[in-house]
Amino acid sequence: MPSPSPTSQPRLAPGCRWSTHGEQQVVLFPEGMIRVQGTGQNILELCDGQRTVQEIIETLSGRYGAADPVKITEDVSSFLEALQRKRIVDY
Amino acid sequence: MIPNPLALISEVTHRCPLHCVYCSNPLQLIATKAELSTEEWVRVFQEASRLGVLHLHLTGGEPAARADLKDLIAGGRRAGLYTNLITSGIGVSEARLAGLVEAGLDHIQLSFQDSRDEPAKWIAGAKGHAYKIALADKIRQLPVAFTVNLVVHRQNLDHIEEMIEFVEQLQPERVEIAHAQYYGWALKNRDTLLPTPKQLENCLRAVEKAQLRLAGKVRIDSVVPDYYARYPKACMGGWGRRLMLIDPSGQALPCHAAGVIPGLQFDNVREHPLEWIWRESAAFQRFRGEQWMPEPCKSCDRRTEDFGGCRCQAFLLTGDPCATDPVCSLSPDHRLIEMARSAANSGTAQVPWSYRTSMG
Repeated sequence: MPSPSPTSQPRLAPGCRWSTHGEQQVVLFPEGMIRVQGTGQNILELCDGQRTVQEIIETLSGRYGAADPVKITEDVSSFLEALQRKRIVDY
Repeated sequence: MIPNPLALISEVTHRCPLHCVYCSNPLQLIATKAELSTEEWVRVFQEASRLGVLHLHLTGGEPAARADLKDLIAGGRRAGLYTNLITSGIGVSEARLAGLVEAGLDHIQLSFQDSRDEPAKWIAGAKGHAYKIALADKIRQLPVAFTVNLVVHRQNLDHIEEMIEFVEQLQPERVEIAHAQYYGWALKNRDTLLPTPKQLENCLRAVEKAQLRLAGKVRIDSVVPDYYARYPKACMGGWGRRLMLIDPSGQALPCHAAGVIPGLQFDNVREHPLEWIWRESAAFQRFRGEQWMPEPCKSCDRRTEDFGGCRCQAFLLTGDPCATDPVCSLSPDHRLIEMARSAANSGTAQVPWSYRTSMG
């Protein structure tokens, strides 16, 4: 499975959903859960199946004005790819 | 401080249309009339959620043998739990399936006994293979996570590649290649089920190849069966650390097989709140922590990783539930495992199956 393209529209895979565990935001999936915080949470919250990867990168770049856009692109791409392999994200 | 449990395994019934030779239910099954009611189960799910549980696993027997399965799923979701159905598919019609997903089912785990019809029937002692294939197609059209569970053992491992290709065609997100575990009924049939080292090696290779080929498409999970591992598995993530199992009559157990250990008293959700059982029940405290550990576990660096292995297996094989799990290469009883392995490898004639019987 290739990396997401700029026009991919990432979303949580079937059977994966947000929940809270105590104070923490988590994503539940069949075998367990991942605690999502920081950049990961910011990325994943934008994965609504509507926004494209390009739009997600632009939104995050807007938020972190000082950050290197190339690094943001790399971070988003590798994060989504890792979750896709776990079948938590589809794109 | 005892951590909260993360998952609740609910054996909602021991009734099952199949008679698998490796059935993981206890030898002595719970009768239908002793089963918890819908309301009792839903109350338990709510108590579990308050205790911090995230995942609810509805299993059996065959959970679809309960007419109220949809209400149980809806109750689990209302309680805020991630709801997983572990099923053979038998008894789940297309219309019923849609209702279960509508009620909030998050994940369905469908078991297969083989890629071929005849051997599947031979293992399960009942027909069902073609029905499961048709059901998989229906599942795929619904918004629910889908895992195929394939139980492997000596009698089917020679065509593991074919079985992986078969399950791939069912288009699940996940495949679990589950080696039969030797408790309950599977222990009775161990000499016929335990794979040979060659089969195991071939299986590992086939799984690795498939994992590469299907990366991003189907996630394949598989673990080395513990009879061939160097160290024991961290059974249930450690006794009374992660999981609670409620049997059909409401007894709370630290694992599927804990009933085999003599002298353990299991408290019932009909009499005690779940939180009290988790924290205070003698059965849950029995092997918590390290007090009970013998050598070589007590001074072993791995004791915080595998917790001395499985208590039920230790008892079933050595007669002592406090013994180091014999699958551990450091166990003084490890020869028991070596003997079982060499018996599997000696090519002796097949002993006839002992099919799972319905009651005891």
